[in-house]
Amino acid sequence: MNAQKNKKHIGAKIAIVVIIAYLLLPLVMTLIYSLFREWIDVVPGGFTLSAYTELFTDPLFWKAVGRTVIISIVPIILCTVFVLLAMYVVVVYHPEWDKMIQILCTIPYAIQGVILPICVLSLYSGAPDPFGDRMFMLIATYMVVILPYVYQGIRNNLNGVGASRLIEAAQMLGASRFYAFFRVVIPNIMSGVTVSVMLAMAIVFGDFVIINTLAGGRFMTAQMYLYDVMKKSGQRTCAVIVILFLVTLIISACAFFLQSRGKDGKDR
Amino acid sequence: MAYIEFKNIDKYYGDNHVLKGINLEINKGDFVTLLGPSGCGKSTLLRCLAGLEKISGGQIMLDGEDITNKDPKDRNIGMVFQQYSLFPNMTVEENLSFGLKLQKLDNSEISRRVKDAIDMVELKGKEKEYPSNLSGGQQQRVALARGIVMQPKVLLLDEPLSAIDAKLRKSLQTSIRRIHKELGFTSVFVTHDQDEAMVMSDVIHLFHEGKIEQSGSPVEVYTKPVTSFAAGFIGNYNILDSRAMELITGKKWKDGQIAIRPETFFLSRNEITTEDYCMQGLITDSVPRGNVLRYTININDVEVYADVLFRSISMYNIGDRLNIGVSDHNCVRL
Amino acid sequence: MKGQKKTYLLALAPFLLLCILFEIIPVIYTVVTSFFPEGGEIGFTLENYINIFTGKLYQQAIINSLLISIFSSVIGLSVAFIGAKAVHEEHGRLKTVFMSILNMVSNFSGVPLAFAYIIMFGNIGVMTMIGANYGIEFLAEFPLYSVWGLILIYVYFQIPLSTLLLIPAFDSIRKEWKEAVALLGGSSMTFWRKVGIPVLMPSILGTFSVLFANALAAYATAYALLMNNVSLLPIRLSEQFVGDIIQRPEFGSAIAVVMMVFMVLAIGVQNKMTPKKGGSR
Repeated sequence: MNAQKNKKHIGAKIAIVVIIAYLLLPLVMTLIYSLFREWIDVVPGGFTLSAYTELFTDPLFWKAVGRTVIISIVPIILCTVFVLLAMYVVVVYHPEWDKMIQILCTIPYAIQGVILPICVLSLYSGAPDPFGDRMFMLIATYMVVILPYVYQGIRNNLNGVGASRLIEAAQMLGASRFYAFFRVVIPNIMSGVTVSVMLAMAIVFGDFVIINTLAGGRFMTAQMYLYDVMKKSGQRTCAVIVILFLVTLIISACAFFLQSRGKDGKDR
Repeated sequence: MAYIEFKNIDKYYGDNHVLKGINLEINKGDFVTLLGPSGCGKSTLLRCLAGLEKISGGQIMLDGEDITNKDPKDRNIGMVFQQYSLFPNMTVEENLSFGLKLQKLDNSEISRRVKDAIDMVELKGKEKEYPSNLSGGQQQRVALARGIVMQPKVLLLDEPLSAIDAKLRKSLQTSIRRIHKELGFTSVFVTHDQDEAMVMSDVIHLFHEGKIEQSGSPVEVYTKPVTSFAAGFIGNYNILDSRAMELITGKKWKDGQIAIRPETFFLSRNEITTEDYCMQGLITDSVPRGNVLRYTININDVEVYADVLFRSISMYNIGDRLNIGVSDHNCVRL
Repeated sequence: MKGQKKTYLLALAPFLLLCILFEIIPVIYTVVTSFFPEGGEIGFTLENYINIFTGKLYQQAIINSLLISIFSSVIGLSVAFIGAKAVHEEHGRLKTVFMSILNMVSNFSGVPLAFAYIIMFGNIGVMTMIGANYGIEFLAEFPLYSVWGLILIYVYFQIPLSTLLLIPAFDSIRKEWKEAVALLGGSSMTFWRKVGIPVLMPSILGTFSVLFANALAAYATAYALLMNNVSLLPIRLSEQFVGDIIQRPEFGSAIAVVMMVFMVLAIGVQNKMTPKKGGSR
């Protein structure tokens, strides 16, 4: 029995290690590639950090990163506020409308990838401002794309904290429904919502298709910069990839840190 | 005039008629219990009084004022919920002062009232704790304190003890009863547990399918059930029809149902002369229930339950033939 | 109370406006446009759809897209099943490390992923050069710039996604069930065949449809690798609106509708298969 259990254990370990190796391979290759001048045999040659120094001194790169941060944060904040406002109406006044909100927030799954930006572009490309404005289209489209994640995060947290019960309790203590939702419920879900919002940020951060469709070369984000460098230098491209990947990693690490801290707080 | 009046309250959820023309009066200072099985409408009526549910028809009066269309926040009613519903991001103190701050009382008044309420529920030393660090019983004490600190006209308690284990429940029942007496406010308590209702209430209103089945003091409701539902829900009555009664007593009975509490049967090996009806029966089963033994007795092919205090001298065995007596006043006509 | 009614509905307005203007109307507009004849005249025609299903180029796009989506999903799901099962059996540090890596690499997709594969298996990729130097033909002539190459890359981003989706499902398998099967004389195989897999089936199918939709709509990876030189639905769709060749909005709309139908079918399967949870109250 024991031997059998051990064998199974080893099987699981091997499976995990093999999958890890497979998943890390492209990342490791990219990292090595960014650090060596040439790599045409088993061992790469000519260690150098020049790709990184070039990158760090390129103002275009920093502008691109800055644009990416702005174009990620604006839609995320707006989308979170919109959904919170909508959920205020749903939780406090019309719980039966949740079904409709849920459907509206699921549709983006069905028009994910290239479909939504194409639909938006074909509808609004000739429209008068503000709709015809590419930035306007871009922000609105990002908001729709992250809608499912933001909604799911907010709803799970509302349910988890027992929003309707808290609102009832606050009302019995003399609070208005508005006060109860925004001053009692929201502070309780904010850390949980931040987690889902940061995961949504990673999505926008890594987007290429929407920016490429709606803005083309007119608005160079980090992903567009990457695409541009790709045609010029392999080594520098790898350096960009490594840096962007690290940034994404930091964003999700923050999210997970927040999440685990939130859990600790509840378990105490 | 009554302090709280429900006049002809109707409540529908869609097509579901959950409150069917309830008329109910509650006197100032009373501890009133709405008792009934789940889904009978008792919690709904409480939530209508709180203003958390809108009534479909009727009128609610509180202290001579029509509150039917008032917002919950303007009714000056306190409420303790089954799931405590404490604000998880606030300490005990902050939970208690939440409503007082909304009333814009000055700080010294707030801290005095909060301190009094904490003393009242015996939670001294826990002021700075967050609810998640407290046990279920302690959390419910905080919820109770949060209700009374507002000095409401009425305190509503919606099954506040049903999530708490049996032992703690007893001590919380005592606490609630004590606080009610000390502060002298009006309390409306909802429960599905008849023992709890008996222990705590001045008045019990028994609910059944959206209507009040019976109202009265605990003793009245316990000893004089008016319907078979009341007899079945409270005190495990034997409910027999007139034919069965005829079989066991040998006397003609008027049509209808008769309820007999198990502990009113008198059992003996000797002849019984003190009771109105005397008969003989065969013990077919015996089950210990706490401090009583419950016998199942077959009397002329009618099965009844009889409870006897658990003492070794009065123990009978299955298969024993016994004399059984019962007084006429203990045979309650429904 | 009556006066309040309008005020609170205002809170719903931003959300509804966003959904209507940038979700509902664009989709409806696209569906309507797809039935218009090309060239901007008003009218009703099915010609755009007929062209998609009869044109060789577009037939090929549909076939390729479905092929890539199905293959990459099945392979990704199989690896994920093994991985999630291993996580279910493993408890120590390795599990934590694995979970972190899955979360980490789930962000590695699109252009960066395509390029990572280019430097490995591309025309002058490391693996390709090593293959050429040492006469390993399989590496030297690796068909990266083809449908098979795309499947290889798509599998990469399907694995972390599907493993992360399947792990919670494995958590629902209770140890007692295994013990019950063992007590009744069944082996580990019996357990998985008769209990484990049937219990997991809804999650497996749900995950499959997520993967399928994910692969079908993926654009960046294929575009970065092959530009417009591969016949895939997202590529063909995009080039009707953006880029150098003549824009054909009506025809493009029809492609978009075809894709949406595939997506809805995939997601519809998922919704059917996942058990519904009760409402909040």
